[in-house]
Amino acid sequence: MPADTNLKLPTRRYSIGFGVAWEAHKYFKWWFAVIIVLAMVTPPAVFQFSSTEIEVSAWEFAAYSGKIFSAIVAGTFLYTMFPNALAQGLTRREFATSMGLFGPVWSLILGALALAGFILEHLWYGLFDWNQAIQRGDRDLALDSLGAVLTHGVTYPLSYLLFFAGGALIGAACYRWDGGWLILVPVAPVVFSLDFALTRADPWGPGWFRWLTGLSGDASSPVAAAAMVVVIAALAWIGRAILLETPVRAKKA
Amino acid sequence: MSFSVTLRDVTLKYGDTEALSDVDLDLEADKIYGLLGRNGAGKTTLLSLLAAFRRPTAGEVLVDGRPVWENAEVVSRVALVREGGDFDDTDKVEAAMKSGEIRPDFDLDYALELAEKFELPLDRKIRDLSRGKRSVLAAICGLAARAELTMYDEVHLGMDAPTRDGFYKALLAEYLERPHTVILSTHLIDEVANYLEEVVILDRGGILRHEPIETLQGVGATLTGPAGAVDEVVAGLEVLAEQRLGGTKSVTVGTELDAQSRERAAASGIELGPVGLQDLFIHLTEPDRTGA
Repeated sequence: MPADTNLKLPTRRYSIGFGVAWEAHKYFKWWFAVIIVLAMVTPPAVFQFSSTEIEVSAWEFAAYSGKIFSAIVAGTFLYTMFPNALAQGLTRREFATSMGLFGPVWSLILGALALAGFILEHLWYGLFDWNQAIQRGDRDLALDSLGAVLTHGVTYPLSYLLFFAGGALIGAACYRWDGGWLILVPVAPVVFSLDFALTRADPWGPGWFRWLTGLSGDASSPVAAAAMVVVIAALAWIGRAILLETPVRAKKA
Repeated sequence: MSFSVTLRDVTLKYGDTEALSDVDLDLEADKIYGLLGRNGAGKTTLLSLLAAFRRPTAGEVLVDGRPVWENAEVVSRVALVREGGDFDDTDKVEAAMKSGEIRPDFDLDYALELAEKFELPLDRKIRDLSRGKRSVLAAICGLAARAELTMYDEVHLGMDAPTRDGFYKALLAEYLERPHTVILSTHLIDEVANYLEEVVILDRGGILRHEPIETLQGVGATLTGPAGAVDEVVAGLEVLAEQRLGGTKSVTVGTELDAQSRERAAASGIELGPVGLQDLFIHLTEPDRTGA
């Protein structure tokens, strides 16, 4: 085999990080394609049958679900890949660095896709003279210009990264401890709370969750974004600390 | 340059249970070792420490004279192949093999060659493989890793006899072409005995024996004959086990008989027999070694 296809020791952690992000997007490409088609086709179909004017962004639902999806991808990929990577002779530090690259690259690509989807939808709705707006309880956020679309869409990469970091931490804790999923209790409210603050969205869910995640509702967007960056760094640091001391589990018979 | 192994006062606890207790072990490079022990003796735990899958509770684990924990230079050249391998079950066989290229010295061509030899379907998902084929995949990845320390932990489970034979031959060929350190942990002791240079026997979390295979094979003898005569010959020797049926007694001793004892035994009508590695292992690790 050509020797240059094997990864070089000093840089393999970076190659793996970028490689996993790329492969993950390739793996889910048909999922993305189906979601894009659904988000673009559903509004005209609804309009055709109900004759009511379309006033909300269908793409918003797809883009928002990408946040939960990012958390799930981070958690499950980490949980599955950790023992296999170590069995292939990777150190925990190298693996943590790889995940540290995977997260931002994943979030950037998915964020770019979300933003492109909003722009495409803006042009698409324009053809029908519909309003592109984001539902915010009793008041909608109108995306009445490309500038407004950009302002709204540009928050997604950061949100995706926040959810990714939260999911990765939960995945690491689940692998490390049998009751590791309990870390969901502090992580989920923090993540949702900051995301609600950044996107000015109304908290949803049961009353206690709405109360908890609504606590940061008064924060301005720049403050929420800065807090997000700090929390992302904290989640990544805690996740890395957990991984560095995690043994590879014994195989079950 | 293949890797040596050194354990100094190594203890590993799972909760309150000590899986390994104050283990000291030195393994020279470029040899094939057999790691034997009853279930729960600590074999897998020992191998996990050498591959940095776990950190010891106390003591020092050195591979090639360097700490193995979080040492990329070392762990990238150490392969621990566990039963069934460590794969993502949703991957296809070929993809799992290619993932080995994380290692600097992984030889994909060799892996593909072995896959053809062992009739491993490259386009099948791992979750759809039989237990035997999955074991073959794990073994192939271990061989193709071209590691300096390769450890196989019960990797043959599920393989049929011809496949096991093929694996042992491939292992030996790889070893002869590129000498490196190999540790085989197995319960099929007699099957691998011919390939081993040294044997480490673990018992209850400690090293019971660590000897060259010739020493172990020559160490014991079984004396069968009239009870009185047998007792007379074995007096002062390390008795591993004894059985008595009427006036006939069979005693397994753990020390080599000198020429004088052999002559005395022959003169007394005592039959002398060798003790196979597996028999010796069974005797050595019996909870009640007198067999009473």
